[in-house]
Order: sequence, then C-alpha cells, then structure tokens
Amino acid sequence: MGGRFEEALDDLASGAGARDAAEASERGASAGGATHPGVEALRREWGDVVLHHEVQAGDEHVVYIPPSRNVEVLRWLKETPGQAYDLLKDLTAVDFGGGRPLQIVYQLRSIEHRLELRVKAELPLDALEIDSVTAVWAAANWLEREVYDLFGVRFRGHPDLRRILMPENYAEGHPLRKDFPLRGRFSRLEQTRRALALDLDSDYTTEELRIGRGGAGTEAARGAGG
Amino acid sequence: MGLAEGGALPVVGGAKDGSPSFLTTRLDYVVNWSRRNSLWPMPFGTACCAIEMMATAASNYDLARFGMERMSFSPRQADLLICAGRVTYKMAPVLRKIWDQMMQPKWAISMGACASSGGVFDVYSMVQGIDTIIPVDVYVPGCPPRPEGLIYGILLLHEKIRGESLKNGELRRETGVDGEPALPAGTVEAVTVPFGNSTKQNRASGLVPTGAVLRPADRRP
Repeated sequence: MGGRFEEALDDLASGAGARDAAEASERGASAGGATHPGVEALRREWGDVVLHHEVQAGDEHVVYIPPSRNVEVLRWLKETPGQAYDLLKDLTAVDFGGGRPLQIVYQLRSIEHRLELRVKAELPLDALEIDSVTAVWAAANWLEREVYDLFGVRFRGHPDLRRILMPENYAEGHPLRKDFPLRGRFSRLEQTRRALALDLDSDYTTEELRIGRGGAGTEAARGAGG
Repeated sequence: MGLAEGGALPVVGGAKDGSPSFLTTRLDYVVNWSRRNSLWPMPFGTACCAIEMMATAASNYDLARFGMERMSFSPRQADLLICAGRVTYKMAPVLRKIWDQMMQPKWAISMGACASSGGVFDVYSMVQGIDTIIPVDVYVPGCPPRPEGLIYGILLLHEKIRGESLKNGELRRETGVDGEPALPAGTVEAVTVPFGNSTKQNRASGLVPTGAVLRPADRRP
C-alpha cells in the first residue's frame, strides 16, 4: 500500500512519460470465474473485442474494448434486445499519470435487466481521440464536453465540442490531466486579468442567448415565425 | 431614536407645551446613522457560508434587528455585498459586474476563509481572495463563520460607517473599473506563491520552488 502510494506520487511529480508506457496500464486482475451476461454475449458475438475483463469491488464488472470500435460495440449493447443497456449513467475519463494510457469510462445500466456494465477504452496520451457516442445516447453530449474540457480528449463527430466547465477563454490546458500543475500555468495576476476580461455571454451560443429575448420557444418568436 | 447619543448636540426648542420641536446635530452623524441602520444586503452566496448567512437572516439570529431583513436580490437596490463562499475565476467577472452595478454608497463583506483568501482551494480555478476583484471592507474569518461571526462583522462595518465623512471623496471612489484587479498588480502577483498549509502541494505544481517541504516522506514525524 505504502510503496504503491509513493510510486504514484513519483509518477505525479515527474509527469507524463516517466514510466514505460508499454508496461503500464491500470488494469486489474482478470475476472477469474466471475461471469456477466453482457460480457459473455460480447465474447460470443464479437470475439476479440473483449480485451480484458475484470471485477472490481465485489460485483462491478469492467470490460476493456479497443477505442477504435467503441461506437459499434456500445450501440450493439444498447440496441440488442437481450442487452438493452439503454441508460448511459456516466461518461468520464481517468488519467493515472506516469505516461499510462488515459481511460475513457462508459458506465452503462440496463433498466430492463437491472444490470450494470462498465466499459473502458484506453487511449495513448499522444493520440487522445475517440469517436463520439452522442448518436447513441444524447446524454453523452455534455459528458463528452466535460471530458474534452478537463482531459483534452477530442471526440470525433461531436456536434458541439466546446469547453463546458472552464471559461471559454481558458488557455492553460486541461486541468484534470496529471501533468497539469495544481495552480495552473499562469500567474495569479494573469489568471485574474483573464477572468475579468471574460465576456460573460461567451459560454453560450447565439441560440441559447436568444431564449427569453424573443428567441426560440417564446411567444414573440412564434408570432414572428408565422 | 439614538440621535442624541454621543456626537450629537441636541438643542431643545420651545413649543407651547414645552415639548421639544427640533434638535441640531452634525450632517455626517445623521447620514451615517441612517446608512448604517438600514444596510440592504446583496447576498452573493456560493457555498456553505451562504447557509450560515441564511441562518443569520432567519428568526433565531434575526438580521432585522439591524434593518437588514430585506435581502436585495437586485444589486441596484443594495448597499452591502456579502460574498459568502468560494469564488471561481469563472465567477469573478460576475461578482465584479454585480459590484459595479451597485450604487454608491456601497460596502462589501468577505465572509469566510475562501472568499477572504481562497481558503483550502489554492488551485488553478479559484480566486485567491475576492479583494483581488472588488474592494472589501470587512473580512469575517471562519470555515464557515457562525452567525455570531457574521453579525460581529456587520457591527464592525457599522463602526466603520460611523466614522465616515461626506467630505472624504476617497471613500466613494470606484477602483479598478477598467478590467484590472482591485488590488495593485504586484500584490495580486504575490498570491501566486503557495499560501498557508498548501505548500506541500508544490511538489507537482511545476512552479518555482519556495523551499517548502517537497517529499511527502519528509513530512512524517
């Protein structure tokens, strides 16, 4: 425990690329005898798409898939009647530091079958790109924006890939990456000046700004639109 | 009424029945008396301090005793900005805009550790003290301060207002209206240096070393 903690701190201090990325992955031990209907079906229907299967915290099944095939696999998991993982509970990412690949995490829930499945895809730090799943779950829109904002992962095909939490004029990078300095890259003076120079309306699209000002959905707009 | 208390010079005039019909006092005294006894707060609650601020306004602590029961959710009708909670850099222009929209005379209370100094949030996203954004009259320490703490801060502000003079134009001068920090640039630059107990976080920050403890192992007894 202690040694592992120290090792993780060393990775933090030295930033990305410190350890050999080839040996490095945060994957846990294989699932052993534990089975999960979703993983079984993936193995049966898709064969090599299951790179790794592990169980965490007793009964939480995690399956690793190749990032290049995420959309087709996730769409299959959602739309196949026997699976029906129709709820995307969360979409996030984990950076373990030390040059290890960044994990994109899809937490799925099948309301019908009362089952959960966590799907992970590992992206090397020098190629942080993956296809967007907004076409599968509309809920992925803001979640992918958040991962883009905080980790710098580009989602191909996302309809509106902008920052969502950090200010629109933020220029210091992606704060949840392990190689990001805790206090940011600019001095406090520069950060304060940039904050005060922020245009308060810049986080919104023109459509969003029109809401309530005679924009879409209001009486005035309906009247004007005929 | 309290008008005749220290500083006022009452002179009783003669009405037919002998009751007083006028009194004299200093203009500053009357103006400050009316200002401090009806401060209308603009609550800027962003975190747990706002819960304590609400408790202060509720019946048990009863801000109405100070003429403050009317929380003004419009800056145009407010005299006192109470910033209760942490302020992010993304929120900073909002705070500044609200302060700029308030009309003179106006005062500001920075409530709690985060508003006053950034508190434990010595990180990339957090304003290190709202006095870099707006001028602050009273800082209330605590995490969060109890309602008694906020009330004590308000009473300190009353004392400050009591000492103000209409002749002093400096009191009502707007500062930093051109998008610059409310404090001098050098002062804001100085808060770049790690603050308080957060120096150990310098290990992963890539900032200039400050001589702080760098290895976690070294901190152990």
